[in-house]
Amino acid sequence: MHLLLVEDDSELARQTSLWLNEAGHTCTWKEKGNAALTVLSTEAFDAMILDVGLPDMDGFTVVEEMRKRGFGLPVLFLTARDNVTDRVRGLKAGGDDYVTKPFAMEELLARLEALQRRSGLTPMTPPSRTVGKWTLDPIKRRLVCRDERVELQPREWTLLEVMLANEGRILTKKFLLEKVWDIHFDPGTNVVDAMICRLRRKIDSTGSLSQLQTVRGKGYVLKAFP
Amino acid sequence: MFSKLFPERLSSTWRLGLLLTVLMVGSTALCITVASWTMKRNLSSIARAVVLDDLGEYAVLYNRNGLKEIKDVFAAGGHENDQAVRITGSDGRVLFEQIPIAVAGYRWPDNATANLQPSQTLLVTVEHEKREQQLLAGCQVLKDGNILWFGRTDAEDRAYVEHIRDDLWLAGLVSTVFMLLPLWWFVRHVLRPVQDMMKSTRKLAEGNTDARLRAPNAVPELQAFASAFNTGLDRIDALTTELQSANDNLAHELRTPLARIRGNLESYHDHTDNAAARDASARGLEEIDRAADLVQTILTTRAGEHKALKLHLETIDLREMLIHLHDLYKAAAEERGLQFTLEAPDSCPAILDRQRINQAIANLLDNAFAYTPKGGAVTLALSTTDDQTRILVRDTGPGLSAGDLTKIWQRFTRGSAASANTPGMGIGLSLVRAIVHAHGGETTCQNRDDQGAEFSISLPIHRNQPSPQPNRGHS
Repeated sequence: MHLLLVEDDSELARQTSLWLNEAGHTCTWKEKGNAALTVLSTEAFDAMILDVGLPDMDGFTVVEEMRKRGFGLPVLFLTARDNVTDRVRGLKAGGDDYVTKPFAMEELLARLEALQRRSGLTPMTPPSRTVGKWTLDPIKRRLVCRDERVELQPREWTLLEVMLANEGRILTKKFLLEKVWDIHFDPGTNVVDAMICRLRRKIDSTGSLSQLQTVRGKGYVLKAFP
Repeated sequence: MFSKLFPERLSSTWRLGLLLTVLMVGSTALCITVASWTMKRNLSSIARAVVLDDLGEYAVLYNRNGLKEIKDVFAAGGHENDQAVRITGSDGRVLFEQIPIAVAGYRWPDNATANLQPSQTLLVTVEHEKREQQLLAGCQVLKDGNILWFGRTDAEDRAYVEHIRDDLWLAGLVSTVFMLLPLWWFVRHVLRPVQDMMKSTRKLAEGNTDARLRAPNAVPELQAFASAFNTGLDRIDALTTELQSANDNLAHELRTPLARIRGNLESYHDHTDNAAARDASARGLEEIDRAADLVQTILTTRAGEHKALKLHLETIDLREMLIHLHDLYKAAAEERGLQFTLEAPDSCPAILDRQRINQAIANLLDNAFAYTPKGGAVTLALSTTDDQTRILVRDTGPGLSAGDLTKIWQRFTRGSAASANTPGMGIGLSLVRAIVHAHGGETTCQNRDDQGAEFSISLPIHRNQPSPQPNRGHS
C-alpha cells in the first residue's frame, strides 16, 4: 500500500513510517493539513493516516475538504482524544476508522488492512474457514472435525472470526474489545484474557502447541499451523 | 401583610389590581359619605330659611287682606308642588287648606301653637308614615288669632343629593381606571420581565446553559440585573469551555509522548532476541497502556465533576446492555470461581451515553470481582420504577466499613478492605460517580444484611413521549 501520513509529531511520524516500511508499505509524510491536501492531487495513495490535532487545521476539516474535492480514499484518524463524541464527529466528517494514541503498530496495520479490504482495493479473500483440525460451520456456529462437534457461544464465535480475519497478526486487547464487544474502554477485570482462555480450551487439541497465543504486553494472536 | 388575604396562586398582577380597586372604591365611598353629610346639613339650614321666609310672606298677605288675599294668590297659581299652606282657627279647625299631592298625608301637629305669641314662629319636622321624605312645617299666629301653617317636603333636596352622589360615583370609577394605568406600566415593565427571567432561570436549572436573562422592556434596574447575571453566566460558560479544551490539550500533551515511548518500546520488543529484555519491554508496554488509561480516566472524572463531560446520548435498551456486560464478564467470573448472575427481567429503554454507562457499570463489576473471594457471588440487577432506573451490583465480599460508606466515591480513596493485591488506585468509583452525575443520576452504596456490599446507579428516565409538563421542553 502507498500511504499518506499526516502527523505533526516528527518522532511519532518517524516510528510510524519505519513500521509501515517494515510491514511492506510505502508512505509519504506531511506535517500539516494544507500540505496534505496539496500532495493529494499530485500523488496517488491507497489510504491516509491523519492526526486530528494538526497545527494549521484539525483533521476533521482536512477530511471534509478532501471529500469536497472528490478524494474518496479511506481515512484512518489518529488522535489523542478518546471519546465517543469525537469518534462520531470524525466518522461524520468522512473518516473511516479511528485509533487513539498511544497505539500498537499491529493494531494500526490491522485497521489499515480492514479499510483496504472494505474499499475493494485488494480482492476479497474469504478468511480461512479452518482452525487447526476444525472446520467452521458458520450457520450453526460451531466447529466440526469428523464426528466431533464444539458449540461456540455467540461472542466466542465473533472473537474467533475477528482473530481469523487477522490471522498471524497480534491483536491488542483494545482492538478485540472494540470489534467483538463494541466496548471502547479497558475494563479492570481481565475479561478478554478469560475469554481467550475459554476459546483456547475449545479449539486446542491436546498435546500440540496452542494456536491461540497470548503475547505479553502486546495482545493475542491466532497462528496458523500447517 | 396583604398577602394572606389573597389565594396562594393568584398572580401579582391580579393581586395588585384587586388591591388598587378596593382602595379606590373605599376612598370614593368615603368621599361620597362625607360630601352627602355636609350637603344634607347645608340643605336643611337652607330649607329652614325658605320655610321661615315663605311663612313671613304669607303672614303679611293674610294680615293685609285676610283669607281672601291668600285664596287669590293660589287662584293665580303662584304656588309650588311641594309646598302646602293651611290656616286653622285657634281651636284647631281648618279654615283654609292648599295641600298638593306631594305634600299630602302628613299629620300636621295639633297643639303645637299653645304657647305661641302672635308673630312668633315655630318649626316642626314631620315624618310620613309611608314615605321617606320629611315635611318641614312652620307655623305663626296671625293678628286675628288664627294660625298660618306652611309646609315644605325635602324631596327636592334629596333628589339633589342623590344626583351629586351619582356624579361622584362616576368620577370615582373614572379615577379608578386612571389609577390602573400605573398597574399596566408595572406589569409591562417590571412583572412581565421578571416572569420572563424566571422562565430563563428555570431553563438554566434544567441544564440548558445557553439560556440567558432577557429584559428589553424592563425598568433600568432589572436590565442592569439581567446584564450582570448574564455576564456571570458567560464567565461560567467560558470557564467550562476552557476546562474542556484544557482537558483535550492535556490529553494530547500526555498521550503523544506516551505514544512515542510506546512505539520505541514496541520496536525494541520486536527486534530483540534476548528473552529477559523482551519480558521487560512487554511489562513496560503494559504499564504504558495502563498509564494511558489512567490519564483518560482522570480526565473523564474531572470533566464529569465539573459538568464538562461531553455525552454522546442515544436510545438503548438497558437490559440488553446488561446482558452484554454479563456475557463479557462471565468467563472472568468462571475463572475466578465466582457465581455471576444477572437479574434483569424487563427491557428498559433509556437515553444515555452507552459507552460511559457501560464503563460505569464495568467499574462497579471490576470492584466487585476484585473484592469477592473465590466461591462468592456477584449479582448484576436492573430494576425500574416510574421515574428512575436502578442498576445494582451486589457482592459477597468483605463489605464496607462505616468510614468507607461516606468516602468511597471520592477520588483516590480505596476501601478499607483493599490490599496490595487488589488492583486499582481508587479512581474507579469516582469515575462511576462522575459519569452518573453527568447523566443527572445518583450513586449509592450500602452493606447488605447478610454479607457483602451493594453499589447502585440510579438514572432518571427520559421517556420519548411528550412530557406531561408543558413548560418543559421549550429550549
